Amino acid sequence: MSLTLPRLLLAAAALGAPFAPPAAAAPNIRIGLHAPLTGFAAADGKSALQGAELAVAQVNAAGGVNGRKLELVVEDDQARADQAVPLANKFLGSGLKVVISGSYSAPTRAAATVFQKARIPYISAYALHPDITRAGNYVFRTSFTGEVQGKAAAKFIGTILAKKKVTLITLNNDFGQSLAAGFRSVAGQFGLQIVNEYSYAIGDRQFGSIVASVKRDDPAVLYISGYFFTGGPLVTQLRGGGVTAPIVGTEGFDTYEFIAIAKDAAEGVMITTSLDRDSTSPPARRFIDEYESRYRTPANMVAASTHTAVTVAAEALRRAGTDDPAKVRSAIAAMRDFDVSTGRIAFNELGEIRKAAQIQIIRGAAFHHYATIDDPVLLAPPTR
Amino acid sequence: MDYYLSVATFAALNVILAVGLNLISGFCGQVSLGHAAFYGLGAYAAALCAIAGLPFGLSLLAGGLAAGACGAVVAFAAVRVREDFLAIVTMGVGFLFLGAVRKQSWLGAEMGIANIPSPLDRWGYAALATGAALGLVLLSLHVRRSWMGRAFDAVAQDEDAARSIGIDVAGYKITAFLLGTAAAGLAGGIYAHLTQLIVPDAFNFIESISILAMVAIGGLGSTLGVVAGAVLLTLMPELFRVVNEYKLLAYGGLLLFVMRVSPGGLAGLVRRLTGWELP
Amino acid sequence: MYYVELLLVGLVWGCTYALIALGVTLVYGLLRILHVAHATVFTLGAYVGVLTANHFGSLAAAFVAAALVAGALGPAIYRLVYQPILDRPPYVALIASIGVVVAMEDGFRLVFGPYGESFSRGTALTATYAVGGMIVSLVQVCIVVTALVLLAAFSLFATRTRAGVAWRATVSDPAMAASFGVGVRGVRYLCFLIASALAGIAGVLVGLLNGLIEPGMGSVISYKCLAIIVLGGLGNVAGTLVASLMLGVVESYGTVFLDNVLDRDAIAFLFVIVVLLVRPQGLLGQRR
Repeated sequence: MSLTLPRLLLAAAALGAPFAPPAAAAPNIRIGLHAPLTGFAAADGKSALQGAELAVAQVNAAGGVNGRKLELVVEDDQARADQAVPLANKFLGSGLKVVISGSYSAPTRAAATVFQKARIPYISAYALHPDITRAGNYVFRTSFTGEVQGKAAAKFIGTILAKKKVTLITLNNDFGQSLAAGFRSVAGQFGLQIVNEYSYAIGDRQFGSIVASVKRDDPAVLYISGYFFTGGPLVTQLRGGGVTAPIVGTEGFDTYEFIAIAKDAAEGVMITTSLDRDSTSPPARRFIDEYESRYRTPANMVAASTHTAVTVAAEALRRAGTDDPAKVRSAIAAMRDFDVSTGRIAFNELGEIRKAAQIQIIRGAAFHHYATIDDPVLLAPPTR
Repeated sequence: MDYYLSVATFAALNVILAVGLNLISGFCGQVSLGHAAFYGLGAYAAALCAIAGLPFGLSLLAGGLAAGACGAVVAFAAVRVREDFLAIVTMGVGFLFLGAVRKQSWLGAEMGIANIPSPLDRWGYAALATGAALGLVLLSLHVRRSWMGRAFDAVAQDEDAARSIGIDVAGYKITAFLLGTAAAGLAGGIYAHLTQLIVPDAFNFIESISILAMVAIGGLGSTLGVVAGAVLLTLMPELFRVVNEYKLLAYGGLLLFVMRVSPGGLAGLVRRLTGWELP
Repeated sequence: MYYVELLLVGLVWGCTYALIALGVTLVYGLLRILHVAHATVFTLGAYVGVLTANHFGSLAAAFVAAALVAGALGPAIYRLVYQPILDRPPYVALIASIGVVVAMEDGFRLVFGPYGESFSRGTALTATYAVGGMIVSLVQVCIVVTALVLLAAFSLFATRTRAGVAWRATVSDPAMAASFGVGVRGVRYLCFLIASALAGIAGVLVGLLNGLIEPGMGSVISYKCLAIIVLGGLGNVAGTLVASLMLGVVESYGTVFLDNVLDRDAIAFLFVIVVLLVRPQGLLGQRR
């Protein structure tokens, strides 16, 4: 057939089609995240960021939310309240509809007030100061409060390990003190006798005096709160000083860095946490395996917590079908039985979650499942 | 807008802190490495009063008084030791304050004090902080030119000479501390109501260093210079957000650079470029 | 036994403080500068040491490398930071020094990562000995022995060698020393070299004791060293040693018995303040 003008035009159009601009995509849904990317807490900030980025990548790979892609807007708060408050206002100013805290308690608590006033849903990934959720009904927390974790540890030691004489070594900050408070509140219930309690500051790395005291006490088990950079040295020095009692730690130790520091001393250490490395649940496996392949380092609790928070936010957006903050808030609050990397999410009326606690043990320089504490009454989070 | 308001409010608070420290270290030559402790004292005192039900104004007043009173006590120690020793003593005061607060449950221990009532809105705090800062700046400028300012100067230059001509060195040192720390306490009270949660870590040694850095970069002894220094360093995290990874590196580098190039700070720079003495 | 063990722990801590504080007091004695940036050479020594040890499997190589690298950085800091501002008021050097610490700490974090390093299994000193009902670790012994040896060596150097005598002369009276032909500049470089090399070695020792080397490990120790040198009497070497050991012991007992009242740093500074109120010139300082 001859090349008439219409056919020429058609041919031109066909050739040019790939170069024509695509139909305008729906704008990304932007989720805010603040974390300590610099400063003393930079290690946790990095983990939080990585967990969040992985969650966003996974959601987008599965098609996004309501046909739109997720986008993370990240700010560095250096774990300080006086940085978090202006940042919170900045998030509000740029029209973000959901914000995640990947940071510590003080900045989270300060920012929570700002978000509550502005009626923007705010999820705390791992900060555990109880007052955070008390800021209002727009504030949620996807990890345990300190008290609840402490109670889980007490039950674990009393019933599963079946030891009675405990010595507490507590980190002197909100994290450590709330864990110890929770532990103490139910210790009697499980027949535990607290032989002695020692505390240390977050900057301490030399624990000689505590080690000597523990040896004198000779407890049956130690319950230690801290982060990997305090727990690693502490456990090393305890074992190096000849203390052989079993050690139960907390989720602050739930990172490969702890094992890297303590090496042989880490063998047999048990921790209360929410991440089960041996889990067969698909969301957990997806998180653990993809985190390791993406970042070339094993997953840790901070990353898992932030991953959970972002996943919950994405799911709420999906369920609400809109990014209207009030509807998103309702969607979050209404979540029951939503499975994430750290277990099953169900919020109570204060915005706290109810779920089982995991006990992991370090064997062969890796974390493995040891036990699960599933006691809704004991582990009930505060409701006011 | 809210974002700029909150940055401005924190800048104003930092101005109060820096100008207060300038009274002590700049005017009177008493190097204090524990200024953040008085910030904290004011914050805690105001927070406790507010939670106990006292009206806003009284809580703020309580904060200023508590800090000022403790400042006077520290000043008595300042009288007994001099120069480099004083730096260490004030540093020690800072650590002592924090160390004690962290262990007392009635002060909130590590959890801090939460649910502090907040009677003002964002505009209110911005106005209050700015107003207080302005007031302090005016007071500072006035002191500089007054007899007290000259006495401070004499004490800062040469204590023994000042004493020999009859200046009550001890009295002036105490006065300087009183004024400077009371100002810090007032700022602390505002801070407590603004953030509604105060924790010990907000008032640690690093914070003391930051305030001293503001004074040094602004120019020790120059009120307006110090104001500029405080505003600049408050805005720095914002300005440096682009190179966030290197923020602290840049901050440290800035301190080093300014001390090397213009030890008189911004005021010194102005003096060298224009010959004008920034008050 | 328990109280003896606490004493031993305190002495070990005191020895690490002594090795670091000595450098700070030497610099102060010579230049009247509060050398806060000493933390930097300490931390750098620790990093160089651990990386060397892990790479070559030799702790001895680690100590040598740490001493060399730290010993090189110290004089460099003097030349680049302090020398140009020697004639300024003292707070200038202090702020500049703080700037160095803040910047370098972030620098370490950027270069070595925020998670820190530790000695690999082959190089960490894990042996322990039972001594009279206590368990003493090889690390503790190593620290005490190293500190004693190095401090004795320094003392010999200061009293028996020409360089040492020239140094002490310069500290007492720079102008007089210069007129006798002492190279004052050389003395200063030597001072920073020795101070920093000691700090670098201390870095390796502390890294072994703690089990962890991290970007911020120098900060707290350096500020505490300021307290120590003031406690001992500014510029007084013997006073610094005594103060270091005393502080270590006070902290050791204090962290256990004053646990509910004050935290560790507060205990240390309380001790310092109390002593200064009683003896404003420090433990062994001269009353001016």
